[in-house]
Amino acid sequence: MSDEVMVRIEGLWKRYGLPVPEVLRKGWNLLRNRNASDADTDGGPWALKDINLEIKRGETIGIVGRNGAGKSTLLKVLAGVTAPTRGRVEICGRLFPMIELNAGLNMELTGRENVRLLGAVMGLSRREIEHKLPDIEEFTELGEWFDKPVRTFSSGMLARLGFGVAVNIQSDVILIDETFAVGDLKFQNKSLARVKELRESGATILLVSHSLETLQFVSRSGILLEQGRVVASGSALEAINSYETLVFRSEKERLEHRARSRITSEEANIYNARLYDNNGQTLTEIRAGEPFGVEVDLRLNKRLQLPMFSIGIHNAQGILCKWNISKEDGLAEPGPPSRYLVRAWYPENYLMNGAYEIHFAVRDGASFETLERLAGILSFAVIGTNRARGIVAGECQWELIPLSDDLDRNAC
Amino acid sequence: MGIPAIGKTGVYINVAPPGEKFSRFFSLLYALVVRDLTGRYRRSSLGIWWAFLQPVILMLLFNMLRGFVDIPSDGLPYVLFSYAALVPWTFFTNSVAACGPSILTNAEVIKKIALPREVFPLAAVTATAFDFFMSGIILAGMMAWFKVTVGLALLWLPVLVVLVVAISYAVGILIAALGTFRKDFIFATPFLTQAWLFATPVIYPLSTVPEKWRSIYMLNPMVGVIEGFRNVLLKASAPPLEALGISVVVTMALLALSWPIFRRLSSYFADVL
Repeated sequence: MSDEVMVRIEGLWKRYGLPVPEVLRKGWNLLRNRNASDADTDGGPWALKDINLEIKRGETIGIVGRNGAGKSTLLKVLAGVTAPTRGRVEICGRLFPMIELNAGLNMELTGRENVRLLGAVMGLSRREIEHKLPDIEEFTELGEWFDKPVRTFSSGMLARLGFGVAVNIQSDVILIDETFAVGDLKFQNKSLARVKELRESGATILLVSHSLETLQFVSRSGILLEQGRVVASGSALEAINSYETLVFRSEKERLEHRARSRITSEEANIYNARLYDNNGQTLTEIRAGEPFGVEVDLRLNKRLQLPMFSIGIHNAQGILCKWNISKEDGLAEPGPPSRYLVRAWYPENYLMNGAYEIHFAVRDGASFETLERLAGILSFAVIGTNRARGIVAGECQWELIPLSDDLDRNAC
Repeated sequence: MGIPAIGKTGVYINVAPPGEKFSRFFSLLYALVVRDLTGRYRRSSLGIWWAFLQPVILMLLFNMLRGFVDIPSDGLPYVLFSYAALVPWTFFTNSVAACGPSILTNAEVIKKIALPREVFPLAAVTATAFDFFMSGIILAGMMAWFKVTVGLALLWLPVLVVLVVAISYAVGILIAALGTFRKDFIFATPFLTQAWLFATPVIYPLSTVPEKWRSIYMLNPMVGVIEGFRNVLLKASAPPLEALGISVVVTMALLALSWPIFRRLSSYFADVL
């Protein structure tokens, strides 16, 4: 990494739409007999607010944030697709945006013809395109389909075609927006590997993705956008952790509201829920590997022979990672009408880093009738420092064992 | 922080390696024209023949019209008289019609990749120019059939072609720029060109226009072009210089108006598409 600054953003503000000069806007408002105070909101909301960023050669930056936080807008402004409303954006060197790549495809043309078109759209000269064609043809793995009209392609094939052109382009600054969710798993891995290759060759990369795994894999540093502002920056992991905390916090607000609105149920009322650690302290996030507990504050309004509680933990992809039911785990207390705290303790925490949501239900153990069920009663983030991926955490011990006879033969 | 002072506008600078811009522009233009041409005719049975058919059909229509109404034709066969004017005229209307939606139809690309936006109307005009040359071949065939003699005046032809391209582009980018924000401009285009046809000596000669109206009439830049084509091709004489001169000046003025409008609006295309 050198000190050469490739991208410099100073006080960037962006608002969509044609900027109307103040005088004209006031005149227009007068004509339409509108209140002058409306004038400020006329231009619409700011998509980006006061962004300042300096990116050096060879840096890879992941941009995270919720929907509508301004991630794509930032990339669009950097790509020069849309003009900054205020502030200054400077880019040194050849810039290449990999933004939803099959945009420019023409359905009537063949794969090969479309590659020529896309290449030109992406800024290659004709000679460069012809030079790259064999590489691209090989990378896309389309075989004979490469010379058929693309209207006969499947969507995965279309995406491969676009990506094949994109990753075979040499560039100083590369902008990537959500392109990894294309093709089958094998192709995704191939594409990721190619992006890493670009990174090793010294390209500066800005990456927007909702897949935190991809971000962690590709980028070294990260920034978190929220409502058009940079609210956190640092290493990729730090940015991702702040993002998960942010998502968790907003989810919690939403759920508290929802939980309050559910107290009209007849047989059981759920008042509150929290996570706690082994000192009984409330947790806002869980450290990877640390034990934790779930506590639900509820009231049973009907006498139950055997109240039965269940807790399911879902990850961000909606996969049920853990599901437990109180009866099977040995809870067999009878439940006269009263207010209770239901506690579930997890001494072994094998949850991988990421965002999770808890679903909770109360049933009558005798009739299996569901009295109350609340999906997303809690949501939380599991935060850790390691880069492992997958669904299940836990140790892994590696060994490299040389086989002696083979070693001898190679030494000769 | 707060919202910055009104009046400061944003700046975007991309220091790309010099010299590459032109080659990329032309490579892009070429690719777009190839796409337009191959994409346009690939799924039609008559294919490229449509390029010939359009002015021929118009010519036949006007010939029928002439059966009812007496239209002078400067002593030339009316078929030839009208066709020689219809070839550049069809080029003009088709280019303007193709330019108008050229930004909207390429929205997917423009929204995502920074490109010189003027390339899209230019590609539309260039692809239409291909049809223009095709119908020019038929015109040459007709001229041979009617044994028209041509002279050195033919050297004016490139000037006239450049001029008609310039007018088409000037009008086209204006409609493309405005039409991207308000589609009304695109919907109005056919009516505009229809009215323009009657204000241009395509189906009738310039000589039928009353003398007192002629100075206003010649402000129409297509007058010099159409009369020029006829003179050069059919009468073996130079174009009417006065009309041609006015046409050049008006075209320059049109470009000086529409080019800055297009440039100014083009940086906000991506915002409204």
